Amino acid sequence: MYLFRMIAAAVIVFIMQTTFVHRINILGAAPDLVLVLLAVLVLDRKPLLAVIIGFSLGFLQDLGNASYLGMNALAKSLLGYGISRFASGYFPDSALFRGLLLFLAALASDIIALNITASFNPGDVLLSFFRYSLLSAVYTAVAGILVFGVLGLLPGRVVRPRGGY
Amino acid sequence: MQIISFLFEKHPDKTVLAVAVMASLLMLNGDERGKNESARAISSFLLYPVERTRSYFVSVDRLREENRTLREVAVSLAHERERLSQFMEERNRLRQLLGFRMDSFFQFLPCEVIARSSNRFHHSVTVDRGADAGVRAGMAVVGYRGLVGRVAQVFPTSSRILLLNNKSVYVSCLDKRSRVVGMLNWERGDLFRLDYIGSEEDVQQGDTLITSGLGRVLPKGFPVGTILEVSDDRTELSRIISVVSMSELNTLEELFIVVGGREWNSREMLDRLGNIEEKQE
Repeated sequence: MYLFRMIAAAVIVFIMQTTFVHRINILGAAPDLVLVLLAVLVLDRKPLLAVIIGFSLGFLQDLGNASYLGMNALAKSLLGYGISRFASGYFPDSALFRGLLLFLAALASDIIALNITASFNPGDVLLSFFRYSLLSAVYTAVAGILVFGVLGLLPGRVVRPRGGY
Repeated sequence: MQIISFLFEKHPDKTVLAVAVMASLLMLNGDERGKNESARAISSFLLYPVERTRSYFVSVDRLREENRTLREVAVSLAHERERLSQFMEERNRLRQLLGFRMDSFFQFLPCEVIARSSNRFHHSVTVDRGADAGVRAGMAVVGYRGLVGRVAQVFPTSSRILLLNNKSVYVSCLDKRSRVVGMLNWERGDLFRLDYIGSEEDVQQGDTLITSGLGRVLPKGFPVGTILEVSDDRTELSRIISVVSMSELNTLEELFIVVGGREWNSREMLDRLGNIEEKQE
């Protein structure tokens, strides 16, 4: 049942990410819904499963842009591991901290992606980071808080005590 | 090997993370073409169910559209049928008044090609119907588009059909538009030649040729071919006319043997059509 829900959620998120998200961008910044999904799925899960989920989601995301095949897989694997290993134990169970977690995760994801796309050129990385990444991270955090909030309102125990879907 | 199993046992999460990172880096360092091809292959595999679902709905839409068009065609054909049956009755009355033989309609015996000849100049096929099914030598054989040949030899359960592209087959043809009569014979490949057409005769490129029915060898009115090219002979007495066959003679599979004509009975025809419509509903 967990696997089925995970696949269903992934399908919905990927459809939204590819068809809908670019319509709601603000000043060129758009939320990373795949990252939100990753946080929802791996929070309070074992790191092993978190890495597998992160790698799978990232790889699926990479299929949309084969030039950087492996970039999102790398970022999401590391983030999945990080969220599962460290965030689960240290972050209090509140919307604000989940938002902060997503903000930091989005920044980390962008730093990895920017370094790869800009071939580790510090000037380009910093420029893009301040131009887009900060705003995108805020946007992702807000989207994440909303998603966690909506999942918390759903009947049954869709959301685990500390978040995990 | 032992180190790997040790790592997986003792530190499964870190080992899997390391594997994932290495796999990602390997993918990142792959060549552009390979990455694109792999991504396309994996995407098409993953999206196969989505594609199947999408194509199902597309085909349903297409079938709906086709159904709507066919309904329109059916309505117009029903009107046309009604009109033609009136014309036909009128025509039969007039023919009776003039003392002509009554019109007949053809009965078609469906059959399948079971063998082909290997001779380059004497093309023929063998079909799975023979004397037991009422087939007789000399009967015309048609395909979906028009005349294909005639029955040459009949066996109890099979028959040999001489095709139009057999050098020994001559077909008396009529230009559907100008009613000029000529004799059709195979030349080469898909090309036929229409002989005995005078230089003054009205024959044009694109005209359709139908069987003339002269000599009662083949029934009248079956489409045979289309005129491809018309040019004058060196003597300027006759014309050289190239024709292409209506039917694809090299890819025949299902054929119909014209097993004979019957008195035209419009009531019977309408009943038959009515039965077909009832079955469809």
